Amino acid sequence: MKVAVCIKQVPAKDAPLHIAESGSWIRETDIGFEMNEPDSFALEEALRLKEKHGGEVVALSMGPERTKQVIKEGLAKGADRGIHISDDKFFLLDPLGSAKTLAAALQKENFDVILTGLQSDDQGFGQTGVLLAEILGLPHATIIMQIEVQGQQLRLKRELESGWFQWVELPLPAVLTIQSGINKVRYASLKGIMAAKKKEIAVIARESLGVTQEPTQRVERIYVPQKVKKTEFIEGSPKEAAAKLIEKLRHEARVL
Amino acid sequence: MSPERERLDADVLIVGAGPAGLACALHLARLIRQHNESGGKPELSAEGIYVLEKGREIGAHQLSGAVLDPRALAELVPDFAKTAPLDTPVTDDAAYFLTAKRSWKLPITPPPLRNHGNYIVSLNKLVKWLGGLVEQAGVNVFTQFAGAQLIHEGEAIAGVITEDKGRDKDGRPKDNFTPGYELRAKVTVLAEGPRGSLTKTLVAEKHLDGLNPQVYSIGIKELWEVPPGRINPGWVAHTLGWPLDSSMYGGGWIYGLRDNRVSLGLVTGLEYHNPRFDPHEAFQRFKTHPFVRRILEGGKLVRYGAKTVPVGGWYSMPRVYVDGGLIIGDSASLLNSQRLKGIHMAIKSGMLAAETLFEALRVGDTSAKSLSVFRRKLDESWIASELRSVRNFHQSFQHGLWLGLAHTAAQFVTGGRGLIDPMRMPAGYEEYHKLDGAGAAPPRFQGDGVLTFDRLTDVYHSGTRHEEDQPCHLHVLDLNICVNRCVVEYGNPCQYFCPAAVYEMVEDKGGRRLKINFSNCVHCKTCDIADPYQIIDWVPPEGGGGPNYEGM
Amino acid sequence: MKILVITEAREGKLNPVSFEALVAAQQIAGAQAGSPIAATVIGKGMRQLAEELAANQVAEVLLVEHDLLERYTPDGYAIALRQAIAQSKPDLVLMPHTYQVRDFAPKLAASLGKGMIGDCVGYRVEKERMIFVRQMFQGKTAADVSFTGAPPWFVSFQAGAFRGDQAARGAAPAPITTVKVDLKAEQIRTKPLELFREAKQAVDLTQAPILVAVGRGIKAPENIPMAEKLAKLLGGELAASRPICDEGWLPMDRQIGSSGQTVAPKLYLALGISGAIQHVVGMKGSRTIVAINKDRNAPIFEVADYGIVGDIFELIPALTEVLEKK
Repeated sequence: MKVAVCIKQVPAKDAPLHIAESGSWIRETDIGFEMNEPDSFALEEALRLKEKHGGEVVALSMGPERTKQVIKEGLAKGADRGIHISDDKFFLLDPLGSAKTLAAALQKENFDVILTGLQSDDQGFGQTGVLLAEILGLPHATIIMQIEVQGQQLRLKRELESGWFQWVELPLPAVLTIQSGINKVRYASLKGIMAAKKKEIAVIARESLGVTQEPTQRVERIYVPQKVKKTEFIEGSPKEAAAKLIEKLRHEARVL
Repeated sequence: MSPERERLDADVLIVGAGPAGLACALHLARLIRQHNESGGKPELSAEGIYVLEKGREIGAHQLSGAVLDPRALAELVPDFAKTAPLDTPVTDDAAYFLTAKRSWKLPITPPPLRNHGNYIVSLNKLVKWLGGLVEQAGVNVFTQFAGAQLIHEGEAIAGVITEDKGRDKDGRPKDNFTPGYELRAKVTVLAEGPRGSLTKTLVAEKHLDGLNPQVYSIGIKELWEVPPGRINPGWVAHTLGWPLDSSMYGGGWIYGLRDNRVSLGLVTGLEYHNPRFDPHEAFQRFKTHPFVRRILEGGKLVRYGAKTVPVGGWYSMPRVYVDGGLIIGDSASLLNSQRLKGIHMAIKSGMLAAETLFEALRVGDTSAKSLSVFRRKLDESWIASELRSVRNFHQSFQHGLWLGLAHTAAQFVTGGRGLIDPMRMPAGYEEYHKLDGAGAAPPRFQGDGVLTFDRLTDVYHSGTRHEEDQPCHLHVLDLNICVNRCVVEYGNPCQYFCPAAVYEMVEDKGGRRLKINFSNCVHCKTCDIADPYQIIDWVPPEGGGGPNYEGM
Repeated sequence: MKILVITEAREGKLNPVSFEALVAAQQIAGAQAGSPIAATVIGKGMRQLAEELAANQVAEVLLVEHDLLERYTPDGYAIALRQAIAQSKPDLVLMPHTYQVRDFAPKLAASLGKGMIGDCVGYRVEKERMIFVRQMFQGKTAADVSFTGAPPWFVSFQAGAFRGDQAARGAAPAPITTVKVDLKAEQIRTKPLELFREAKQAVDLTQAPILVAVGRGIKAPENIPMAEKLAKLLGGELAASRPICDEGWLPMDRQIGSSGQTVAPKLYLALGISGAIQHVVGMKGSRTIVAINKDRNAPIFEVADYGIVGDIFELIPALTEVLEKK
């Protein structure tokens, strides 16, 4: 079974965010980067598929030089090889542009399954997996909790809202987006870290993929939402305050 | 109960990827390369060098002011001035004496506080850069792995066992449980920094203690971004006096960095008498002094951190070699407490250790006798001459500031000997005065959230994270002492000296109990050092946890 | 501009969040004269729902029906809706950001060579340009995003971004037009099986529109049920700050904060929570924050829209009483 996992490198969760001068992204100096957490569950799922059904796992990521770090992490955990689509301006691509670029690299090989996480912790568009499926002409399913391989078919457990689930069946090859928290992500072993040094990371320059896609959207600016209103303190006895609060929530804030 | 452990074999295992550990790895890799290239036999490999680092990445747990004396770096990387990430050369340095409202600049900057020719650096960035060089040299650096236990073979150290990963808070294996590795090595080098956990165990087991017990100071640091023009890059200021009283050892620092950044902090000796003293609070109040406030006003806190510093110096050095083992850097007490500089010594000691290791590997002799060459090299190097010249420095201050200055003046003119040589000093935790019915504790410091902060807010800015569902890594050997004795005798100082609000005494069904918020821990080791009963044992948590000292 | 609202049905009823998308459409249309709104109902045997929808102020309801649309599949919906779009020619396609929309909408947009801005919390009109606001960095920042290129433009709105009960009713029922759907079985690659319910192990607080969170002020685990009852009355979920989960009074999946979940519900009620930064970063993206705490100086009030300085053990019963009366 040949599995590809698309992994994104994102700013570390605890990195203090400062808006860049351009106003449309954050300052990337002096912050740490890490593997997008939802993608770590997709990677774990890929490794489990390989353990169960044999084959290979390819870790793929797009971005500047520092992106290699998350590919190496994937290799250290057990992925067989990596693909780095090198691009300094990756964050300027819109979801469709970035999916087309990933697809162009993925297309060169015949993957049975392509996995992504649900969404990225930075931009959080949550579209990459679905777009990949459309661009590659493959069936897909999202928010997957469980995967069963039955010959050339997949049997998948999908999560829906409010505690509902559904099993669906799809033919291979397919694209899946994996729900977070469905597995306990493994630790990279010492042997894995050493072996990773010898595993191949193929580097592809983004331009060389020849993807011409006019951006469909533009982030005009990013900002920290300022709370302009002051706290309105509600006075009175508990009964009075409670009534006033519900009233305000219903008719002023309109959240009830 | 002991799980099956996977075994790996290294030639040299270095525990800690700080300046000492990385200098050792880099220099050894170089010596090996030169040896192989010149046809030396037996052929050795840099890949037989393993470095363990418990932080998430190299540099994550590195914190210092710092003003670097570049002499050792120049030996390790001759073109460092062009390639190392130095922030700015020191352009101006001054010493100040503070009272609650005023400041006096000392007319002459005392020689140990003079920094011409030195550089202000971020130790985190410097170590990251060194780490890059080490990895390029083919050394195996394993981040997110800690040395949890030493492996003994008879009298010798035979390696370390790394920490178990994937145990839940009750110690039970989770789905992704991975037992620690049995990492065997011909020589294990302990480069764990101040109060290393393996070093502490080794020194105790083999009675390696120096003449004086090791003593420590706690350094609390914040990195700020201030409006342009407030401070010049390269400006170095050290302060004495307020907010510490004359019975306390310590002082503040303020360094101007590039890009309108300021590094500032307060160092306090961990031998103060008042068990309710709060070093974090003292630092917050330091910032409210007009001298400091006018630099920070309108600025923004970028990052926070805290770490201890070993200041015992020459007479606190343990024996630094055993069969199959070496101790280097801060773990070996190699820090000039007068200049409060240890990075240059850490690097140099790493290089001297590398030379020792290279010989030992070449001839195949890793016994204590063979490794004792390391001590001889230290004695013959500028580390020894520098440390000897300040060998009684910190100890001079055990009876107060003014007596301390008198002693150190005498030492200055006698090459370190002074009036008493060696000056003996007890461990810091023996210096607490009992409460003896002192009144209720004063309310805890809250901070205004703009210039000063409470500990939780500061901890948030240290980027500290730990896997939540794991056993608590702070082992308190007898909790009864906390609730029955300590509460009366000392008022539970752990609640005060911890800069990360890890320890809290909380009400529990009519009584009190100790609550340990281990996930806030910034790995400074203060609790292990300063607890009056010495019942707190800091052991490494699951690798990858701890602070993220980006830019510190 | 012409707007098309794609509604969603659940268990034979229109999913209430579809009305939120309709309200969004009506607001946008209201600001731009000459903006007719069409709304789709998709599935099989949906005429009744179409009539229900037609009672609202819309220009037209499109009935997109086919046997093969009886069960949701991304292939089926994408193909059928593409045909509806070809017929209706909208400029703007609006949807609620549901699990189902996440599953097919990007595909639908991409199949037309268009992009989708998803999970928006609002919009603005600037010099006749539409700017959509969405969150980034897990709610730590907001982002203004606009479309470049020609319509149709695809947008989904986060649950709670608009109030579904504000949908304007039409003066007369809108016409219902059938869309002839050309769909063949071999075009649908997914085989959907039965839906089923399961006791979920972990609760996903990020999906709850309302959260009631307890902090140290709750004092003892015995007091938590009353907060839970309040949460249920409000139609929300129970959450907690770190210390509560540390003590084991609530499971870790209820924790909000830097070491728990980051949420941005439309209403966050903080009971007895001091507001340490570790907690606040996990919830300050919430649209409306109410804090109740004994301490007037508790930092939580700095992020609260409404605050009550008082005893939660008096206010929780008082709030419960007010809600039960209605």
